[in-house]
Amino acid sequence: MEGRPADDSVLIARAVRGDSAAYEEIVQRYQQVAFRTAYVVTGSAPDAEDAAQEAFVKAFRALDRFRPDAQFRPWLLRIVANEARNRVRSSGRRQHLELRLAEGFRPADAAPSAEAVALATDERRRLLAMVNALSGDDRTVIACRYFLELSSEETAAALNVPEGTVKSRLSRALARLRPQFQEAANA
Amino acid sequence: MPDLEEQLSALGAAVEWPPTPHLLPFHGEVPSESQQRGPNLLPTVWGGGAQRRRGLPLAHNRWALAAAAVFLIAALLLAYTPTRNAIAGWINLHTTIQRVEHPPTPSPLPSGSLGSQLGLGTPTTLKDAQAQLSWKITVPSSLGAPDAIYLQMPPVGPSGGEVTLVYASRSDIKVSGQTGVSVLVTEARGKVDESFFFKVLGPDAHLDNVTVNGHPGFWLSGKPHDFAFQDASGDFRMETLRLATNTLVFDNNGTIVRIEGDMTKEQALQIATSLG
Repeated sequence: MEGRPADDSVLIARAVRGDSAAYEEIVQRYQQVAFRTAYVVTGSAPDAEDAAQEAFVKAFRALDRFRPDAQFRPWLLRIVANEARNRVRSSGRRQHLELRLAEGFRPADAAPSAEAVALATDERRRLLAMVNALSGDDRTVIACRYFLELSSEETAAALNVPEGTVKSRLSRALARLRPQFQEAANA
Repeated sequence: MPDLEEQLSALGAAVEWPPTPHLLPFHGEVPSESQQRGPNLLPTVWGGGAQRRRGLPLAHNRWALAAAAVFLIAALLLAYTPTRNAIAGWINLHTTIQRVEHPPTPSPLPSGSLGSQLGLGTPTTLKDAQAQLSWKITVPSSLGAPDAIYLQMPPVGPSGGEVTLVYASRSDIKVSGQTGVSVLVTEARGKVDESFFFKVLGPDAHLDNVTVNGHPGFWLSGKPHDFAFQDASGDFRMETLRLATNTLVFDNNGTIVRIEGDMTKEQALQIATSLG
């Protein structure tokens, strides 16, 4: 159908046959999620950029070994996260991931009064501060699932752990957040 | 009371991310290294990344400089053998650690095929796995045919690839209640770096030196957690032991073999000596 984006499998098949435009389309499609996933792992934008870039190159070189029936995005994110972890190890330090609220953010669910907007923004800022205060593992799994909106499978691939571990980590992270969240909501 | 998970989802839209760099490159010549494996052509020359941040002005200059730097480094490494390791250390070659965590799933019993929850790679057959590897897979005759086989190739797996033979119940060996697996036999090309290996075992592990068919090995008991080895490219690779239980590790003529299972040292050694 004209104008409809091609499936990953179609693009991959074309890329394997040497169609450069097909792989460029794949990169365009996934560069944001790849970069942000790497950023969650490294806490550093330059390292994340290098990791994502290298991951796309490595993925391309391994494309002919990619199973046609598998999902491309989890596979790619696993490579991205591996590259990101390598950069953390190489640099000898992991920068603390400090997520911030976007400037000028206006909650869509807030009433249109300035006071309501300020209140909703403040609530989100507090919640983000709680997330930032979590341990690295907890913060990473929350960021992957809720901020990057990765599936369980993709989060497992990005963190290189089984899906069951993602579920248990997420459950523990939410359990740690919940008391503070409730306290703030009741205040 | 607002729901925490809903609020976290809503918060995702409000998080400020660094701007996504334009990973798509400009068009140009294909680096010849990319021709070794995979599709015939890299679609583009990859720009951006650190090079862009370093402020190099033109795309072609960047590649020319990068190529010159690589050439210079390669020449140094080749020319000064005694200092190769030192140079490699400075530029961080051959010291990449890929930490791969595969702890067992905490769910009661896994769904899907045996071992599918353990992140062992792609399910395959012995014949297909062997066809993709340049080294010979060895199968312990004392355990019979494996119940599942997984293959993990680079870039996710170690250089040279890694194959895991999965065994469900076997007599006298307890089946893991968490994974449904009784024994895992994992093989990859490389060597064990003892000095590094000792540091990552974890405090609850006990290590004995053993010999398997004349080859040096280690018996890890207690609750060993991590395992490290040097893969076929010389990169260090750290993996979490999937079953977090007793493990026999040994070097089988350049193939690092790991046998994991809730078994005694004698049982593990018997399995190891039956590898053929």
